[in-house]
Amino acid sequence: MAGKYIYDEALVVEQLHDPGQAREAFGKVIEHYSQALYWQIRRMVFDHDDASDILQNTFIKAWTNIDNFRGDAKLSTWLHKIAINESITFINKKKAQNNIPLDSDDSFLANTLESDPWFDGDATQLQLQRAIASLPEKQRLVFNMRYFDEMKYEDMSEILGTSVGALKASYHHAIKKIESFFTEND
Amino acid sequence: MKQEESDILKQIGKDAGFKVPENFFAEFNQKMSDSLPQVEITRVDERPTLWTRLRPYAYMAAMFAGIWCMMKVFNGLTESNKTELTAKEIAAGMSIESNAEEFIMNSSVSDVDIIMSYEDSLYYDNLIIESSNSNGNNEELL
Repeated sequence: MAGKYIYDEALVVEQLHDPGQAREAFGKVIEHYSQALYWQIRRMVFDHDDASDILQNTFIKAWTNIDNFRGDAKLSTWLHKIAINESITFINKKKAQNNIPLDSDDSFLANTLESDPWFDGDATQLQLQRAIASLPEKQRLVFNMRYFDEMKYEDMSEILGTSVGALKASYHHAIKKIESFFTEND
Repeated sequence: MKQEESDILKQIGKDAGFKVPENFFAEFNQKMSDSLPQVEITRVDERPTLWTRLRPYAYMAAMFAGIWCMMKVFNGLTESNKTELTAKEIAAGMSIESNAEEFIMNSSVSDVDIIMSYEDSLYYDNLIIESSNSNGNNEELL
């Protein structure tokens, strides 16, 4: 029986800066972070194929810029930042294609959920996704990271560059808005 | 966290209703690793040298030393300005003969100034003598 590989971040980061081991080390990074990053992206863009493409772009961007990663921040923070930026860029492009103002919410993304073969949620889950999509972008990010990923506020703070207090307030507002959405659409 | 959640969210739970194709992650990871483009990676020395770590402190120390030197020079200039004597002080000094000679020998003050100062000193000496005489008379009267 093959022993299970234990991911050692410090060792992987060291290997990433060794030309002889970097490619193999990045393979470990992909293996370790692909699921977390995928779900982060998927909850932002809803569509599986779009999420898969954005995840691919995220890893390509990280790999081509690996020389710029010096290990000052955590690798996970760096990757999450890239994934968020890629997701927002994608959403903004989609808004432009659909003639939707950039400052409007992302509700349009939830319109195709009902017919999405990779969404099997019930009516309440669908309603929750619509409620989340109606939130401002940053609140949506904060809600997803906290509620679904159960990420610590300190980690979120590093990724989003916002104070812990502001994130807590943002999460609180998001919940209030989701409750209102359910009340209004009951 | 638990107190933060609303009743609606408690009812729904953490399942967002999204799913992925079977073996998606295993296949994605393999495909992704295989399709990584060629990039140039420069090896970096992980441990910074002692000088690299001390450099900012050395620069800061040099900066403070520079400021201290500048202040010293500035203070020196103001101190030297303070040593310039007033005409009255020179005159008083000149009344002592040895001082006058020394001053004349070492000073860069012009001859005219020296003569005027000397005359002033004589004038002040006379005043002192007159006032002491008048005081002496008063004492006699008392």
